[in-house]
Amino acid sequence: MAPGLWSDRISSLAETLRSRQMKSGGWAYFDSVQESLEATCLAELALAPERHANSSEAILFLLKSQLSDGGWPAFLGDSEGSWTTALALCTLNSTGDFTAAREKAFRWLYAERGREGHWFWRWKFKTSDRNVRFDPDKYGWPWVTGSASWVIPTAFSIIAIEQFTVCNRSEESEKRIHLGVEMLLDRECVDGGWNSGNSLVYGVPLRPHVEATAIALLALQDEQRIEMVQKSLSWLRQNAASVDSVSSLAWCILTLFVYQESVEPLKNRLATIMGDGREVRNNATLATALLALKCGEMIHPFVVLR
Amino acid sequence: MKLDRRRFLGSSVGVAATVGMTAEWAWPKHSVSYRRPRSAVAVLNADEYSEKIEALLLDGLRLFRLNVLGKTVLLKPNLVEDVPGPVNTSATLVGAAARSFLRLGASRVVIGEGPGHQRDTELVVQSAGLKPHLSERQIEFVDLNRDELRKVKLKANYSGLGELWLPRSVLDADFVVSMPKVKTHHWAGVTLSLKNMFGIVPGMKYGWPKNLLHWSGIHESILDICATVPIHFVIADGITAMEGNGPLQGSARQLGKIVLADDPVAADATCARLMGFDPLRVRHISEGCHFLGNLREDRIRVLAEGVGAPTRPFSVLPEFRYLFAAKS
Repeated sequence: MAPGLWSDRISSLAETLRSRQMKSGGWAYFDSVQESLEATCLAELALAPERHANSSEAILFLLKSQLSDGGWPAFLGDSEGSWTTALALCTLNSTGDFTAAREKAFRWLYAERGREGHWFWRWKFKTSDRNVRFDPDKYGWPWVTGSASWVIPTAFSIIAIEQFTVCNRSEESEKRIHLGVEMLLDRECVDGGWNSGNSLVYGVPLRPHVEATAIALLALQDEQRIEMVQKSLSWLRQNAASVDSVSSLAWCILTLFVYQESVEPLKNRLATIMGDGREVRNNATLATALLALKCGEMIHPFVVLR
Repeated sequence: MKLDRRRFLGSSVGVAATVGMTAEWAWPKHSVSYRRPRSAVAVLNADEYSEKIEALLLDGLRLFRLNVLGKTVLLKPNLVEDVPGPVNTSATLVGAAARSFLRLGASRVVIGEGPGHQRDTELVVQSAGLKPHLSERQIEFVDLNRDELRKVKLKANYSGLGELWLPRSVLDADFVVSMPKVKTHHWAGVTLSLKNMFGIVPGMKYGWPKNLLHWSGIHESILDICATVPIHFVIADGITAMEGNGPLQGSARQLGKIVLADDPVAADATCARLMGFDPLRVRHISEGCHFLGNLREDRIRVLAEGVGAPTRPFSVLPEFRYLFAAKS
């Protein structure tokens, strides 16, 4: 596929995504009346360069849907902060504006931690509950308050905090980022890559997932020299060649691009699989694919600029 | 009267039991009961996943005289990961079930699942081989991890969760069919039709895995979910089952059975017996028999085949050896 055709494909996918925006300014995952924060953040990131950020209806929607404690719910109608807070912070980071909302989000993320963050559970995991191999001293972020740390929410939280504090690093933010990175490295699968966060259960290694590996590697973009990161990168490179689901392939492209790998063949394959995008009913997936195809043409939304 | 240690202990146990029974009477843990005087189960023999399954399944379903005319049927298979081996409910069986319900008069069949580990649902659906079965009109797939949600007050209170956000497609379905893969499970002992309902809990809210349910107690959460979303029918895939370190890393076990039932407890008790386990030793099944369905064999009418003990029980991790039924 020639690059020219590519541009056409990008604009038709953007058009499809734009046509699915709800009156509120948000997006649902599928054809429903309930706005999803994940779909909204990814769609806004994918479409943002084509419009003026401050006037964006999606940004207004995000600002309105922020909870009073600084977090964001997973979907509109819920009153509890969730893992999507990190994605919302990344989205607002891309505008470079709305400092008050971002500061509140950072505070929420700073306070949120996996349940192993409490000494009692750390002690329990160290002494009696040892069927899953992990170091409970290394904790990150949960999907929802009250559960343990998992790979994807930890990875997004690291990126969001790194982006937000890039010009204003504090000891507290550095400490939290370091702990999150340690947690990701601890949960790496035996032969590289990540799954949801269990690498070894009952002494048997579990296999990694493409999407979780790609997102974890995005969070470890500053740790490229670590051998474990290189092993996982190699695993991702190998698996990217055969994966043909839109979401996993798109996350591969977004990550391999950050690691300065060639993504042109993968972009070609993604564009071919997607067609005009109408068959991709999940708006979060459609937006991720659009971001992947735009890699190199816009500022990567999950890169930490120095 | 002198109170020695033995008497004191005896009295304490008596008092505790009385308090427990009173508490259960005064504050019952469930506000519903789906138990009927008798339940029906059919165990069908099937050695392989072939085109013949559809006719076999349709004949089996007809034994139950189900009324699905004009109804929306939700099939809830167990789709966990994009891995080879007997991890997921067979797509051949799911497709056959979908077409069978349409032939029995259902107006629409929805196949719904929210995989618990793998976030990329499309990848799981693709690798499970389900896509060709979705090309037919009136059969659609819904990603329950990302469906529209409604907050629901739980109809049992074992987990202490109180309420859960659940998918609209599940709550709106007229007839819910749990389609588990018969497997051992390294946290719950077994994963059958009741445990399979973990998959209706949405990942977008509770994450991958749905870890909050683990923290609230696996058996307890299963009971609360199944009290809130009643299972109307079960089609359990026991053709190639899994033993050992299930639900992901166990070994294939050729069982050659499809278990149909109009009661999830009866279905799971029957599957457990086929695996060589005592269903009373699986906590969510033994507790579920008080309100979700029937466990006792004399309350289960067998419509086809018998339920003999296996020649060799399913292997389990050492922690689950207590599941084995005593030899008669």
